[in-house]
Amino acid sequence: MPPIRHYLHQILMIARKEWTLLFRNPHGLAVLFLMPAIFVLVMSFTLRNTLTTQIDMPTTGWVLENGSRQAKLWAQQWLDRYDARMYATRHDLRNAIASGEVQSGVLVLGSWLDSTGVPDSKQIEIWLNHKTQPAAAARLRAELVLSVMQVNLKMKMAAAGPFANMMTGNTDITKLLDDNNIPRIRYLYEIDSGRTMTAVQQTVPAWLIFGMFFVVIPIAGVLIQERNDGTLKRLEIFGVSKTVILGGKLFAFMILNWIQLAFMLIVGYVLLPLLGTDGLSLEISLFWFICMTFAISAAAVCLALLIAAYSKTFDHAAALGGGINVILAAIAGIMVPRMLMPPGLQKISEWSPMGWALDGMQMVFLGVPETQFMLIRIGLLLCFTSLCFALSIIRLERHR
Amino acid sequence: MNENRPVLIAKNISFCYPGQSEPTVFNINLTLRRGEATGLLGPNGCGKSTLIDILTGLKKPQKGSLQRVGNPTPSLALVPQDYAFYPQLTCLENLRFFGEILSIPKHDIDNRIAQAVKDCLLEPFLEKRAQECSGGIRRKLNLAIALLQRPDILLLDEPTVGVDPQSRALLLALVKKCLIDGCAVLYATHYMEEVSAVCTNIVLMDQGSVLASGSLSTLLTSNDSHAPFQDLDTLFIHYTDRSLRD
Repeated sequence: MPPIRHYLHQILMIARKEWTLLFRNPHGLAVLFLMPAIFVLVMSFTLRNTLTTQIDMPTTGWVLENGSRQAKLWAQQWLDRYDARMYATRHDLRNAIASGEVQSGVLVLGSWLDSTGVPDSKQIEIWLNHKTQPAAAARLRAELVLSVMQVNLKMKMAAAGPFANMMTGNTDITKLLDDNNIPRIRYLYEIDSGRTMTAVQQTVPAWLIFGMFFVVIPIAGVLIQERNDGTLKRLEIFGVSKTVILGGKLFAFMILNWIQLAFMLIVGYVLLPLLGTDGLSLEISLFWFICMTFAISAAAVCLALLIAAYSKTFDHAAALGGGINVILAAIAGIMVPRMLMPPGLQKISEWSPMGWALDGMQMVFLGVPETQFMLIRIGLLLCFTSLCFALSIIRLERHR
Repeated sequence: MNENRPVLIAKNISFCYPGQSEPTVFNINLTLRRGEATGLLGPNGCGKSTLIDILTGLKKPQKGSLQRVGNPTPSLALVPQDYAFYPQLTCLENLRFFGEILSIPKHDIDNRIAQAVKDCLLEPFLEKRAQECSGGIRRKLNLAIALLQRPDILLLDEPTVGVDPQSRALLLALVKKCLIDGCAVLYATHYMEEVSAVCTNIVLMDQGSVLASGSLSTLLTSNDSHAPFQDLDTLFIHYTDRSLRD
């Protein structure tokens, strides 16, 4: 048999053996398929309100300690407009928030109107239960401030009498501070592709990458067993080189990564809409998708080979591999989206292999893969792959 | 005829692990011949497994030379001390995997597997996962995988550890069959009676060096002041001292 065919044959035999071993390892399969799928489901719902520029207004309970006509009128306008209800006392409001009857409370203090009769935003307290999202609280506060300003303006206009029309023309004064006239927030990718970032668009690629890197568990299990039982020695005596042994594993688990990928796309495209959240948009560049997946898969498998090669026992590899993956995922913005990180950490995350993977994959799923941007990420991932593969072979050679 | 022709010659071999000051194997001379079995004896940690790794070519000696004699180059197989196969696979899947990795024609693979299964009496266990088999069956599978290579040189590193007398008898009979077929055998063990049963030559090692070598009868009646020795056990204890090594 010619040498190249001989090596390809050996690689295929090793890959087939790896698949057989994997399919007899239910724990390994659960880590590779169920874990990322569960993360996608949970995180898609968790991040639903975090990755949108339009946050839902929390339901409010109101207590008016200021008995003025303006306060009653203002509160009534709010009640007419939003999901809100009145309570008689602070105690009632507290209980309503604690029991989940309303998500937040607005307490209008007795000193809401100053000595000149002008409403003061500082004389309002917002009460929240611990489950209220910070973004929803921020929206409530902004809307309350704006609403107080509207009341203030109306009172000033009323006091100005006929001079008010000279200032505003014939414009309805309520439209001057209409909270619907707010600027629209648009991210660059939305402008470029017309597609908005949803929790699903973020979490499916993110947790897919995380799941792909978890091949360390089955790879380490078999490689360490082979090394400790002398099977690697035996394979070498059978004429199989270390490069071919690792190449066979690389091939087997890269194929496996594609199966993971298909599974996660089904979860995102089919299962999530059935559960009532956004579906994954698959209007993507197939070319860049394939290139990115290849680069990510190669990096994930070679990192796993490196960890397995440097670990003495499976327990060691599982702890080290799991720990490294979780840290890399946290830095890369897989667990918490990078937009929520402080600027310093965002810079650090640009130097993480999972960060390169996530950057590239997100651009693919957002429909804006720019050639230069993608080539840099793919190049970095392939350099990382080569380094890990070379170090793995060196380690296994030295282990002799 | 091939008989008694040397197939593996090791001359003045020394090997030192990185970071160690003393060599693990020092100035070893060894010749393996077709149809002859050489017993490799020595206490734990004396360098037997390292010497076997050198003979297989897995470790390169820093000094000395190693030569496989013959055209084509004689094939070599190892039966390691551990179960060097995949416990999650069945016995047949293991044999098929190692057979196919040799890249020989398919009908030849089938023949070799069938022969190894027949020789090692593995037929009833072929569909059983290796991890579910007894220690004896696993030892037989370990040997059967090595036999797939149809080796000219067979190195066995403690091949009978943890097996019952019946399985041990079978394994020894298989080694004898290999000798009849013209194979050169190196048999490392702690069981003196096994060496007496199959080996014509003996190499006694300790602390990386050969203490004594030659045929069993020559060693028992050597010029040593304590000779003649009653048996191999007495000889072993005489050369390696009674103190515990582990």
